[in-house]
Amino acid sequence: MLARLFEEIPRFFSHYNTIFLLKAAATTLCLSAGGCIMGLLIGFSLALIRITRGQLLLPARILSISYVESFRRVPFLVTLLFMFFVYHALNLTVSVFIVGLTTVCLIAASYTGEIVRAGMESVHITQWEATEAMNFTLVQKLRLVILPQAWKVILPPLFYFFLGFIKDTALASQIGVVELTYSGKVLNNKGFSAALVFGTVLALYFTISYPLARFGAWMEKKVGVSKDRRR
Amino acid sequence: MEYTLQFGQVLKYVPYLIAGAWLSLQIAFLAFCGGMVIGLLGAMGKIFGGRIVRSVVGVYVTFFTNTPQLSQIYFLFFALPEAGILLTPYEAVLIGMTLNAGAYLTEIQRAGFISVHRAELEAAETMGMSLLQSVWYVILPHIIKVLFPPLSNLYIIMTLGTSMAAIFGVEELTGRALNVNAITFRSIEIFSVTAGLYLLVTVVASTVLVLLGRWLFHVKGKVF
Repeated sequence: MLARLFEEIPRFFSHYNTIFLLKAAATTLCLSAGGCIMGLLIGFSLALIRITRGQLLLPARILSISYVESFRRVPFLVTLLFMFFVYHALNLTVSVFIVGLTTVCLIAASYTGEIVRAGMESVHITQWEATEAMNFTLVQKLRLVILPQAWKVILPPLFYFFLGFIKDTALASQIGVVELTYSGKVLNNKGFSAALVFGTVLALYFTISYPLARFGAWMEKKVGVSKDRRR
Repeated sequence: MEYTLQFGQVLKYVPYLIAGAWLSLQIAFLAFCGGMVIGLLGAMGKIFGGRIVRSVVGVYVTFFTNTPQLSQIYFLFFALPEAGILLTPYEAVLIGMTLNAGAYLTEIQRAGFISVHRAELEAAETMGMSLLQSVWYVILPHIIKVLFPPLSNLYIIMTLGTSMAAIFGVEELTGRALNVNAITFRSIEIFSVTAGLYLLVTVVASTVLVLLGRWLFHVKGKVF
């Protein structure tokens, strides 16, 4: 078996196959990065809605909470298939990449919403009260007082979440997005040895994910909340 | 939008789907138990092992936490037959999930072991406790408080992760949803019902875990 594998290697890493694999890796990265950045924007607004007070915004708060809680309890695959058919029912002609991106964005919104909220709650209550006393507007509160303190708590878990999504987007292959796992399936169907193809795919995922994981660990140490926070 | 939602046809299949959800929970439970054993050995190896054991465990953990579970199962399912090992879809998914869970559980359990202070072990020794006693009365109550929240979290994530088994043709909740989709063609309805069932199953599972944690280990936790 190994002899056959070695014999296949030069044929496998031909010009076009290499480009195909690298493009697929880029798609994986775009899908997770793009989805997570858009998700972060939505998640941030969800967290903002959740910390508002006042009777009028109560329905919005309930909506935001139920969104965050429910999307975190549905598997990526089910949401993906659901979105796939929703786009179809709405008669929208979009590429499968867009379907994948929307799904990543929807799920990322619920997770990042929770992370951002936890970060904001980590800021001591007296800081919030102080901003009230200074009569700051909401934007001022966040920009001048809360976010400068909260981002240290938010950033590390956010980065790990993004890392996790690089791996979760493998499921997007099921609706036909040409990312790494899908490219593995295609090359396997072309007749290359499955061990070689999926070994390469795993190695490519590893080369994307591992440096980022090391960077995340370094950042966590660098940014990490210092023990003697002044309260 | 010219699509009318018709849940009638799909709701007939709810008992069929619930049986699938039971299989999902079973797969998650088996993989979790297997992962706990691997994780325990891994954490022991990482803390007490020599240099070779430590680096082997380190490579295992970094590899499995940095590659997607789906591609790992693809590898098991399609590449191992070339070496003459044929796995059924159920076995491939179970082995893949167990190995993956083992990697994460190694890290989680290692963090738990580290949280026990040396002074507490020495105190147990001073009290004349045997190894079993000190594990039962000193180490376990301490570790479980640190470990329980991340463990129950992982269990929920793994329950969601079992949806991957559908891709290989295991008839758990998502697999059965795909079957019903092929019979009725009410795609939106069936997948929203499936999403609802996953919601139900995970909420029930987390409630049970929180209650278990409260009664057995006095760990405070919340479902939401």
